[in-house]
Amino acid sequence: MPEIKVTPLGAGQDVGRSCILVSIGGKNIMLDCGMHMGYNDDRRFPDFSYITQNGRLTDFLDCLIISHFHLDHCGALPYMSEMVGYDGPIYMTHPTKAICPILLEDFRKITVDKKGETNFFTSQMIKDCMKKVIPLNLHQTVQVDDELEIKAYYAGHVLGAAMVHIKVGSESVVYTGDYNMTPDRHLGAAWIDKCRPDILISESTYATTIRDSKRCRERDFLKKVHESIERGGKVLIPVFALGRAQELCILLETFWERMNLKAPIYFSTGLTEKANHYYKLFITWTNQKIRKTFVQRNMFEFKHIKAFDRSYADNPGPMVVFATPGMLHAGQSLQIFKKWAGNEKNMVIMPGYCVQGTIGHKILNGQRKLEMEGRATLDVKLQVEYMSFSAHADAKGIMQLIRMAEPRNMVLVHGEAVKMEFLKGKIEQEFSIDCYMPANGETVTVTTNPSVPVDISLNLLKREMALGGPLPDPKKPRTMHGTLIMKENSLKLVSSEQALKELGLNEHQLRFTCRVQLQDPHSDPDTLHRIYTHLKSVLKGYTIQHLPDGTVMVESIVIKVSSSAEDPNTKVLLLSWSYQDEDLGSFLSTLLKKGLPSGLC
Amino acid sequence: MAATTEDDNLDDILDEWFIESLKTYKDLHVYQLEHPTQVIEWTSGKTVCVGGYSSSRNEMLELHLPLKLFADENKGLCAERDFKVLHGGFTDGPVRCLVHVPGTRFVVTNDGLSSDLQLWDLGGDDSDVIRRTGIVEGGRKRMMKSFSEGGSRIAARPSLQPQILHGAQSCDIQLTDLNSGRTLYRPGRAAEVRDSPRFVLTETDSTDLLSSLQFVSDAVFLAGCCNGNVYLADTRTSAAPQLSPPPLSSGESVLWWTDASTAPDPSCCRVIRLSSSGAAVVSDLRKPGGRAVRQAQLDVEGHHFSPDHVKVSWAPALDGCVSVSGLSRAVQIYDVSLWGAELQEVQPLFEHRGHVISSQQSDSGVSVRITSHVWHPERPRTLLSAASDGSVHVWDWIDQSAAAGPEPGSQ
Repeated sequence: MPEIKVTPLGAGQDVGRSCILVSIGGKNIMLDCGMHMGYNDDRRFPDFSYITQNGRLTDFLDCLIISHFHLDHCGALPYMSEMVGYDGPIYMTHPTKAICPILLEDFRKITVDKKGETNFFTSQMIKDCMKKVIPLNLHQTVQVDDELEIKAYYAGHVLGAAMVHIKVGSESVVYTGDYNMTPDRHLGAAWIDKCRPDILISESTYATTIRDSKRCRERDFLKKVHESIERGGKVLIPVFALGRAQELCILLETFWERMNLKAPIYFSTGLTEKANHYYKLFITWTNQKIRKTFVQRNMFEFKHIKAFDRSYADNPGPMVVFATPGMLHAGQSLQIFKKWAGNEKNMVIMPGYCVQGTIGHKILNGQRKLEMEGRATLDVKLQVEYMSFSAHADAKGIMQLIRMAEPRNMVLVHGEAVKMEFLKGKIEQEFSIDCYMPANGETVTVTTNPSVPVDISLNLLKREMALGGPLPDPKKPRTMHGTLIMKENSLKLVSSEQALKELGLNEHQLRFTCRVQLQDPHSDPDTLHRIYTHLKSVLKGYTIQHLPDGTVMVESIVIKVSSSAEDPNTKVLLLSWSYQDEDLGSFLSTLLKKGLPSGLC
Repeated sequence: MAATTEDDNLDDILDEWFIESLKTYKDLHVYQLEHPTQVIEWTSGKTVCVGGYSSSRNEMLELHLPLKLFADENKGLCAERDFKVLHGGFTDGPVRCLVHVPGTRFVVTNDGLSSDLQLWDLGGDDSDVIRRTGIVEGGRKRMMKSFSEGGSRIAARPSLQPQILHGAQSCDIQLTDLNSGRTLYRPGRAAEVRDSPRFVLTETDSTDLLSSLQFVSDAVFLAGCCNGNVYLADTRTSAAPQLSPPPLSSGESVLWWTDASTAPDPSCCRVIRLSSSGAAVVSDLRKPGGRAVRQAQLDVEGHHFSPDHVKVSWAPALDGCVSVSGLSRAVQIYDVSLWGAELQEVQPLFEHRGHVISSQQSDSGVSVRITSHVWHPERPRTLLSAASDGSVHVWDWIDQSAAAGPEPGSQ
């Protein structure tokens, strides 16, 4: 039976980096190429030696697909493509293609400039790698080659995140990347049709959680901001340009309006330009509400939110500022942070994960004294708040996705095995499908049951119908005979005569004869009659005839009786059958060799 | 921003409530389970067990409360707001009653169809599956249609010996030892353990349906009946239990629920009884006959209720406060010390209306009902509440009456 193999090189039972190999229908596909943010050495890259011990990966992979721009899914891309070596196609959605290089460059800068690492990819490598990218549109089938096709589906989670459907022949796999099933303020929920893939590979990081509602997280955010403003403090919110910033702005705007607050809210201009630019490009990727707002007015024409100027940071009194970059590692957000860190009335709200080496990472780990350039130390007296807004699918979400796609098998990655036995049991019971949880480097092999389409000739069908019996029923398969012709890429089932005709062959008939000796003290016709009675009692359900020309026919097999010249009691039975009745013929000869039972009349 | 659709309207109402909640709650977490629960039981200071109550197969889950709730010092640095599913298992029937056996990893459940109990092992670190390990037979064998006719109430003995008290009616209460499976006490029959005193509930075996069983100390327990009777029994003596009849003349159709505050000395423990018509009566168990010490008429909104889902509970760490749910659409908290000796209408100290407000978002016309609530055993104002739409809220409310004055300057 054909099989599909899934091997996580990273993810598997390990949260940190995603990189999954799929072998399907003779094709090898790599899904995501993430960096493990917790390690400083080679362990942060996926282990490509599984594919090949030395040399480039181009010959071993048919394509690489990146689900979204988070570093634990694309962080190792330049390393894999330029340092290990891969020249094949790299697929990702348009927004991912636009945003990936920015994040990779930021990441590179931090790692090389801030942490002083040397064996890392360069800016040029990032550019070279992105040249190999072929962008995908949603719900558009892309032929990677003659046999392999892929299609992207909306995943929610972040701008441009996609779930991907991979098909080779009649076998298919769906990989979810990171996704979420509940809509955001600015992103919709993941969606896929009832594509019934052989395997659904889903992330399960949050499979064992039940997520707190979006509104409660927002409430927390508003509460913190409000508390700071009330006591005259300043709030800094470092953001990356897209998505989250928009959402938080809308939230604050609504809140300010309702509570009639007067404190100014600022948005740094660099952010505005970039965000506007991206939104114009990717408006189809956001949800209905944002689209409506964007169409009705410019994204950033908020009543209470104004463009920021550097000098405002020194203004007295409360204020809220959104600034880039998101991890406080450089630029405007860091400048503002340095000015405001010393006052305990102030606050910094970190809306997401920060890479090691950044100030953001340090303060989120509780560090209260920071070393700045020129040996100066910065005392961190302001309040540090860590909030997580990024949306992942929880247990309920995974069940919903399975209901949507109806896969035949389930593979869970990105979770901890011991903590997923219950979910595995739940999936197996509710959907009656197998659920696998491979570890890094462990291969899951799933046998598939592909359906092979065959055209059947009308004549053959008619003939079968003429034989009578019950009507065709998918639950009760019926055996039929025909000849299978494979021409070009199609399969046809036709009657033997038609096959011979099409192939221009003559039909040959094969006939077998066999002589059986028998002792029977009767006349020839009587012996024949005894044989007839005997066969009739043994072979029930077969057509047995005693013909006036002195033969017995069993189906198409002819039996004749004659006596031996020397001894009239020694009978010689002549059995003759055609090749089609070979089985019955052999059976009869063996049966008759045993002789006739004595009780016959 | 003009609201153009009904969805927008509902969103606005919900937003309104959330913004208001900034002043009225210290912490608020809102979760959606796949299936609703009518039990919430603490299995440790940070974990609870819940279970579904549909008529066939259900899930039972052990959940860890969000880390952020407990991160008192470095709360800002903790972003973890989610419930963690630590363990999960499947039951064959509804989970109508669930009790944790203290000092162990076992819970005992009853499905409301018979008085037999199921025993479960929640599991440790090596597996996340909850497994059924046994059955404890109850007094009644017949399958009953609804809880009030056949389901058992359960209470776990607070001491370290794993023993549970269970029964569906006042005449079939028994105390079973989980290790041996032996019944230690049974009303009206010779005890199976030779040295143990015989336990007789009443002289005539009364068949009052139970609405609660509760240990008020290691040896003394309270059996609250649906008709308003409350029995206080001491498992160490063979004396007849003390009976307190319902405080008010209540009609045939009036149901009662009971809770006792677990004070160190059982003789001064206070009992609150709540009737389905909203009368709440506090009595002192030292006074036989249980005359009301304080009482109040609560507003129950003429609301249709399900007897399984009504709960009244003393706050374990907040003196004089009780909470009520199931008779109206909110969880209400009252300060009993403000109640008088006469039956008068009172205002709640706090109302948690989160379930009814957020349920307006759902499509179905069926109104949501609160199915259960519990107080945190130590944190004075933290509660968990669950509703029929599968929602579970964790909330820490602010006492507005105390907040009216200036904040105390230092601890």
